[in-house]
Amino acid sequence: MPKVTIDHQVYEFEGRPKALQFCLDHGIELPHFCYHPAMSIPANCRECLIEVGMPAIDRETRQPKLDKDGNPVIRFMPKLMTSCSQDLADGMVIRTHRTSEKVARAQQDTLEFLLINHPLDCPICDQAGHCPLQIQAYKYGPEGSRFEFRKVRKPKHIKLGPRVMLDGERCINCTRCVRFTDEISKSRQLTIIERGVRNYPITPPGVTFDDPYSMNVIDICPVGALTSIDFRFKARIWEMSSAPSITTTNAKGSNCHYWVKDNLVLRITARPNAAVNDYWLPDEDRLDYHRFNENRPDGPRIDGRPATWDEAYARAAEVLRSVPGEGILFLGSAHATVEDNYLLTKLAKALGADVPRYIPHVEPGHGDGWLRTDDRTPNAEGCRRLGIEPVDEAMIRAKMEAGEIKAVYALEDDPVAAGLFSAEALANVPVILHPYHTTNETLPVTDVALPAAMVVETVGTYVNCDGHAQRVRPAKAIRDVNRTLVLEMDKGRPDKHGTPFDRWHHEDHQVNCRPSWVSLPAVAQKAGHPMPYKGPKYIMAELARTDPAFSGATYEAMGLSGVRLESVGEAV
Amino acid sequence: MEATNGAPQTKAGDWRSYERVLLPPVRDLHKIDVYEQHGGYEALREALTSDRWDPKSVTDEVKASGLRGRGGAGFPTGLKWSFMPPVDPDVPRFLCCNGDESEPGTFKDRQLMEYNPHLVFEGMLLACYAISAKAGYLYVRGEYADWISHMERELENAYAKGYVGENIMGSGFSCELIIHKGAGAYICGEESSLMESLEGKRAYPRIKPPFPAQRGIWGYPTTINNVETLACVPLILRRGGAWYAKIGAQRHPGPVLYGISGHVNRPGVYEYPTGMLISDLIYEVAGGMRGGKKLKAVVPGGSSTPILRADMIDGVTMDAETLRDAGSMMGTGGMLVMDEDTDIVSWLRRVTHFYHHESCGQCTPCREGAGWLENIVTRIDEGEGRLRDLDLLIDLCSQMEGRTVCALADAAAWPVRYTVTRFRDEFEARCRPSLVAAG
Repeated sequence: MPKVTIDHQVYEFEGRPKALQFCLDHGIELPHFCYHPAMSIPANCRECLIEVGMPAIDRETRQPKLDKDGNPVIRFMPKLMTSCSQDLADGMVIRTHRTSEKVARAQQDTLEFLLINHPLDCPICDQAGHCPLQIQAYKYGPEGSRFEFRKVRKPKHIKLGPRVMLDGERCINCTRCVRFTDEISKSRQLTIIERGVRNYPITPPGVTFDDPYSMNVIDICPVGALTSIDFRFKARIWEMSSAPSITTTNAKGSNCHYWVKDNLVLRITARPNAAVNDYWLPDEDRLDYHRFNENRPDGPRIDGRPATWDEAYARAAEVLRSVPGEGILFLGSAHATVEDNYLLTKLAKALGADVPRYIPHVEPGHGDGWLRTDDRTPNAEGCRRLGIEPVDEAMIRAKMEAGEIKAVYALEDDPVAAGLFSAEALANVPVILHPYHTTNETLPVTDVALPAAMVVETVGTYVNCDGHAQRVRPAKAIRDVNRTLVLEMDKGRPDKHGTPFDRWHHEDHQVNCRPSWVSLPAVAQKAGHPMPYKGPKYIMAELARTDPAFSGATYEAMGLSGVRLESVGEAV
Repeated sequence: MEATNGAPQTKAGDWRSYERVLLPPVRDLHKIDVYEQHGGYEALREALTSDRWDPKSVTDEVKASGLRGRGGAGFPTGLKWSFMPPVDPDVPRFLCCNGDESEPGTFKDRQLMEYNPHLVFEGMLLACYAISAKAGYLYVRGEYADWISHMERELENAYAKGYVGENIMGSGFSCELIIHKGAGAYICGEESSLMESLEGKRAYPRIKPPFPAQRGIWGYPTTINNVETLACVPLILRRGGAWYAKIGAQRHPGPVLYGISGHVNRPGVYEYPTGMLISDLIYEVAGGMRGGKKLKAVVPGGSSTPILRADMIDGVTMDAETLRDAGSMMGTGGMLVMDEDTDIVSWLRRVTHFYHHESCGQCTPCREGAGWLENIVTRIDEGEGRLRDLDLLIDLCSQMEGRTVCALADAAAWPVRYTVTRFRDEFEARCRPSLVAAG
């Protein structure tokens, strides 16, 4: 296998990797700005410079020249090379800033140049704290500045489109945003205008940057030149906690970070996962956080009146016991996790009811073949794998009219708003509901409301449209104290939540709800069908062991990037 | 290089009796009839129809002539042509003729385009034949609007006579020539950004490798040559590579258009062999210094080439090797001459302004550094400079040189580096006296 020597250490490589990516893959940090692994390589920031040498070849023998110790003589190229564009070759010798003064000086020089016309308004910049320029300037940059002139003035706070704001002066012209719209989203809505030091990216005349993926440029901008109009000035990065999770606006399950302060979700950013969404996230996923913060319930209700959780569980159990099992309609939910739906099927089975059905939420034409799907729910595939099929609306309505349905138990959905039943039709049937919001249109006819934790508050598994099973983790605290949730939040939290800025322990924005994997066993227990699970992890472990459709999908295996499940049967 | 008639001993030999070939003294030579009467398109006819020539032998003849690029870098032309990959009928190939002449002090290609356009066309067609390209682009800087319409008119005439287009002169060889008007930026003269510009994109230079011969215009194999370079090709074929190789300096042979500007009595474009003594060019060819003043400095090949003090030009001739040894470069042969009254700081200020204005802004060191250099030189010129600024200038040059995609950063840094080091006393005299003792 070909070998390359980087800072005196020999590495083997396959194919034709570029030096920068190879170094990053092997834990060698090289400063860089313009390079992005998913896009073309312009080598314009000139920050990732390295020294590159090749063994000198004797012209007559065509063999490598050896020095008197028998080591090959290395001939270094006279100029420093950009590691991002440098192909590795067998026998190549590379010196990075760790062993070469020349490289370290060059990196420092480039940073000095980058900073002379950069505003240095970090104290008021949204990017501060996670800014590649800021971080790398501290690590590799010069101390102070030798620049004693007026900085270049460029347009500031320009709305490129409905979601992205430009500050031209902060831009370092890495062209990542332009390349993103050229090569990834293909909207070609951005271009560089002006020349030389007055360069900045903007939309061509008459064009609005309304690309449905426009906000990705905010993530990839290595400075604060492109910021989110939605998130601008809402919070500093060090005041927030973030949790790795997935978005739930559609069936793709794109990986994301939920950024939370005081138990309010303020921002959603992309999290790389090559198996699902690469580095990207649609704008609609990023802006879909208000529903986690607004119109949330304040605890369980019985017939619309506040109640304690125990009272509500008892009442629900009473309802279930009062009607024959086959008369109960169990509605699973493509919004709920695999674990919650699984518990529901177990409860239905224990009571002798039919297998639950779920209400599909499909919006034809919404999908784009990339990260948006027609299906607006995150877990239809998970339901299908559990044997939960979409409801047959005509049959269900006929049954309702015939009086065969004596009670409805609906998980995390809204049957009335979905048009499955009218409110009148449900008025005379006891309804048990796990709602997310107080605006749930089924609530007025609900007998027992057991508010459910949303994706940002729970632990669980979702299966995306491609059969990729992924875990979610709690990003914010609920009112209830739950050991599993605390443990899951715990990872990496003490330091983050130790910040005095994030009052996650305050009750102000803690929602009084419970994960369905807490409520369902409680109801089942009181109904006489105990489900002795210690938590969702154990539920999933059981599924992974017993159900081939979930084979291998344990929490340990899913980790942060999920597990691709074996395909079973036809897709829905 | 034998001297005759008491002519000075230069590599150019007996330059006084030199007969012009690129710009011969023929009235109305730009007209196709006149051009034909003086042997025009004969080399093309010969190359296309005679058994003596095939693409390889044309390339070999150019190699044998020792022709080196006239665009500034002086790369051997025949060698460049031989970098083109083997012909693949499915892969188009292109020739590009670089007429984006925009370096301050350089104005020779314009002269060729005005007075001998068909020589350029013939050279392009021969080059297309040699590299088996079916299309050649002539990229002319946008500011040369009059010359573009002039060239287009003459190209129409060449098409009408069947020298360009389908089945040229019944030889079976077809070639289109397209004149492309540049959009006005110095950077477009850089070969890879010229190709980007030609493709309708923003003229950002490309990373090399791949070189144009591997991936040029629209990603296809391309050869790019300067206007004057290609104009030499018909002459080489007409009179032989050996004839050409004997003209001027042995390792950098041929006729060259010297564009002499500045404080001389007769500025202009002069055709002479390479290897002319700089002093001959100034005092004999260009009629000596204006007003009989003393020479102060010479920039031999366009504003980016290192400046030479008057005391550095003794015996220095205009060819790549000699100029390199003297501490400068041949560049484009656009010679700037400055007399003793020249304010060298002001001159440098103007030059740095040019490179600041023309840096394309792709690479950090050039984008930021070119402006910074101008800032500092301006401050010195206005009497507000500090002595430490001089060292900072040299430092910034080191931070720019060789660290960018194309050579514009070098072009911006060299004038500063060499002007400051070679005229340091003048810069120091301009700086504000230091309050803190040096050391």
